[in-house]
Amino acid sequence: MTVTLSDLPGLNCGLCGFRGCDAMAERLAEDPELVKRCVPLASGYGKVGKRPESAAPKRPQAASTQFASTQFASTRAAPAPVASCAGCAVAEPSAVQLNSGPVEKKWLDSLGREFDFVLECFPEEPGPREIIIPHNPLLTREMEIEVGETLIGRPLGMSCGCPITHCGIVQQVDRRTGVMVWCVTGPLRPRQEGFKDLGYYIAEGYEGLIKESRCEVQIGRRYFFQPRMCMLQWRHSGLVNYINRTDDGLQIRIEGLWIG
Amino acid sequence: MGDIVYFDNAATSPLDLRVAEAMRPWIGETFGNPSSLHGFGRRARQAVDRAREQLAALLNAHPGEIVFTGSGTEADNLALIGVATAYDPGDCHIVTSSIEHPAVLETCRYLGRRGVEVSYLPVDGDGIVDPASLESVLRPTTRLVSVMAANNVVGTIQPIAELARIAHEHGALFHTDAVQAVSKLPLDVRAQELDLLSLSAHKLNGPQGVGALFVRDGIELEAYVHGGGQERGLRSGTENVAGLVGLGRAAEILAVEMSEDAARLVSFSDRIIETLAEKIPNAYLIGHRYRRLPGHLCLGFRGQENEGITLLLELNEAGIAASSGSACSAQHVAESSYVLTAMGFDPIRARGSLRVTLGRFTSEAEVERFLEILPQAVASLRPITSHVLLSA
Repeated sequence: MTVTLSDLPGLNCGLCGFRGCDAMAERLAEDPELVKRCVPLASGYGKVGKRPESAAPKRPQAASTQFASTQFASTRAAPAPVASCAGCAVAEPSAVQLNSGPVEKKWLDSLGREFDFVLECFPEEPGPREIIIPHNPLLTREMEIEVGETLIGRPLGMSCGCPITHCGIVQQVDRRTGVMVWCVTGPLRPRQEGFKDLGYYIAEGYEGLIKESRCEVQIGRRYFFQPRMCMLQWRHSGLVNYINRTDDGLQIRIEGLWIG
Repeated sequence: MGDIVYFDNAATSPLDLRVAEAMRPWIGETFGNPSSLHGFGRRARQAVDRAREQLAALLNAHPGEIVFTGSGTEADNLALIGVATAYDPGDCHIVTSSIEHPAVLETCRYLGRRGVEVSYLPVDGDGIVDPASLESVLRPTTRLVSVMAANNVVGTIQPIAELARIAHEHGALFHTDAVQAVSKLPLDVRAQELDLLSLSAHKLNGPQGVGALFVRDGIELEAYVHGGGQERGLRSGTENVAGLVGLGRAAEILAVEMSEDAARLVSFSDRIIETLAEKIPNAYLIGHRYRRLPGHLCLGFRGQENEGITLLLELNEAGIAASSGSACSAQHVAESSYVLTAMGFDPIRARGSLRVTLGRFTSEAEVERFLEILPQAVASLRPITSHVLLSA
């Protein structure tokens, strides 16, 4: 539909960024999208007898994981929602889901225990992203650990302690606190390129993507989850304290980690 | 304070020197109680009446429909309590939105404790009330619908004319808290069929301590401030003559300059949005892109929402006075913004917004300085996540 000067409210309010309706109308011919900037029209008090935008079919009501903010840099279409089980209770996802009847095999770990979602790696990264701290944080200075280096270490200190020594590539180092972010990889790279040995470290957090879950994932709740790359395929648990809905899935950060 | 960039005009706006000049005679040079019959009083009465005419002209109201108050909050209280107390509590249902200023929300809760039933309309992710949601809650006992013209936190503009029409179809009055909107939007109480409208002088480059309530002819409110019967008995108490003269002059200036101010502020907003897209890839705009007050931006920084307070402190150190959420809640920084929560933001994101509100005296140089400082300040924050995906 072409909007012309006669369709504009004639309030000359300036809310569109032009000094008057005349000035906006001149530009409308070449850029019809500009009509979106007419606030009186959109808000239903223009002189045109059109249905205001608010009377258009209703958008879904905002839910706890829906963010309708405008990302300046992104022009991509809205992402597909993360798959979740139909009719899942929102209030207590983990507690409600467990022990409530037969569970699909894909939601069971190698010990037959249920979990709520699988934590995937970021697609562009070499492995799962972990936030770790050496048992001696000064190692980051003493060993002069740099971004891009390969490290190995064993995650002592998580509940039940993972017995597997991990290898990873450093993504970030905070030498003040000793906190590092790395992407866990297989052992091939340290064999080929050499490595520095951290000894024991504590896994403080995980970051990754959820592409499918059994329940709605909410910030502030603990969940059982399965890291996709876990060599033992044991479920972990932790508290979700960051959620970001993206084209690639639901980006989350989990802290307060336990195995099992 | 000369070097400070003031980007918190939604909290209060600097007094326009032309307004100060109009007030000056009433601060020390002359005086009078408008209720007095002698010359001092008559001059004061004339000054107050003149202010009433100036404000009425801005709103396309009759001067007799303007009731002066001590603040926008007081005007909101008079509107809500004034309508509700005209009915038995059990026979009164009020509808408001979930993102109103506390001046409305707390008054509704007060009335709720006294037996008045209150419904709170949800908003969508842009912070806008869907008129269809109003239709669904109206009932025969609905006496008043109160929805703000524009939100004080995110700046989004509500479809008040549409909401007023629906309220009237169901026999209810419509009130709008226009404290934020009145200096930026062309409000016309006739065209938009408003029954009650609250405003505050200090949001329109006028003085603090003065507000007003537009009360459409024929609407009977119950006063809750009793005394000498000033303001048609609706707000007893000797008038703040200097303040009202300032409000009147501020309204007069607005009537002439509002459009030009708005166009300039929109261009500044556009400049900020476009530059941030380039310099801070994780920045996002909260609220509707266009249906917002000119010069009113509410920003989030994806993955760094946990550092909202740090960002404010960094900006303050760098000479930028901005705000988190609303100034009225600054003493409650530990609480998530109920406005952003109502818009669907999780508790951490709801605490991380930066409110940047430009005003009449904002210069291009100040905008450029802000755009130079903000990316540095954001870059210095410790993010909650080590890796931010920028889609969606």
